[in-house]
Amino acid sequence: MSRSWRHWFRVLHRDIGYIAVALTIAYALSGLAVNHIDDWNPNYKFASSSFDLGPIPDGPLDARAAHVVATLGIDRAIVRGHFQETEHELRVFMVEGQEARLDLRTGKGTLKTLSTRPVLFEVNALHLNNLKGVWTYVADVFAVALMFLAITGMTMMKGNRGLAGRGKYFVGAGLLIPLGFILYMYS
Amino acid sequence: MLLLAACDKGPTKSSAPAATVAAKASTGGDTFGAGVTLPDTVAIDKLLADPNAFKGQTVRVEGMITDVCPKRGCWFELAGAQPGQKLKFKVTDGEMVFPMDAKGKWAVAQGQVSVRELSLEQSREYAEYQAKEYHMPYDPASITQPTLLVQLDGTGAQIRDRK
Repeated sequence: MSRSWRHWFRVLHRDIGYIAVALTIAYALSGLAVNHIDDWNPNYKFASSSFDLGPIPDGPLDARAAHVVATLGIDRAIVRGHFQETEHELRVFMVEGQEARLDLRTGKGTLKTLSTRPVLFEVNALHLNNLKGVWTYVADVFAVALMFLAITGMTMMKGNRGLAGRGKYFVGAGLLIPLGFILYMYS
Repeated sequence: MLLLAACDKGPTKSSAPAATVAAKASTGGDTFGAGVTLPDTVAIDKLLADPNAFKGQTVRVEGMITDVCPKRGCWFELAGAQPGQKLKFKVTDGEMVFPMDAKGKWAVAQGQVSVRELSLEQSREYAEYQAKEYHMPYDPASITQPTLLVQLDGTGAQIRDRK
């Protein structure tokens, strides 16, 4: 006995839906995070602490930077380099984005550290396609799958609860929300 | 001289191909975008001394990374030989994403030199925007001269731990 198209839509909707669960949640999570990029950094956490080393002895910049590193008790192996930002401001860079920044006249400064946000850093990389390459195609397939799920989702029910019944009003309402914002954008 | 760019002000013209993930380059570093193909490096202090002489040219520069775009990783700044001297390397958002922990690493970068002269009013607006964008203090009185924005509209870069 041949099965109806609705049956196959249900089967595909169910099984593709299962496959898409993980990535849908990952993308939604990332979407929430990057929506608010003006208010916070969705990828990194920053921390800083103050220090006061006293005036840094005069001398060549390399020697002054070495003095700062030694006085702060920083392992030289993690130091990448230094840069004179202004006449009196020195920046010392370390691995993993750490940085000591100080006023050479007073020795007062801040030690900044940087760490990635667990989970969010990874899902943002997927969602924003920072990986490029093969991931671009995976994301394309996922996008097509979402469209398929949306279309087949409308056919799950028959009758009054289906698309021909009240479903069409809900679909229309879902369309009106973005449409309203688009009209507002061009008004 | 102030050096350009905010995340939403990407290069208007870029020949960068679709970006590639940071791949291990043969030099031992990570390659971004189209990488670096030019053999000769233009010194950053030479470029900044007379940017109009390089305007529109595709050049290769190199230096230590002092800052990376904290939001989208869409730019980094390279240190010149002089105190405070920096050149911004800007790509269109998402074409390449530079990690924030690249600060202090060595970058070899290639791109087209962009030079924009702003009026005093534009300079203040730009400084205010930058301050707001990166949560820095802003004092309009500190902007007393028109700004010359110089940056590389980037097509590729290589970043490695050491020079």
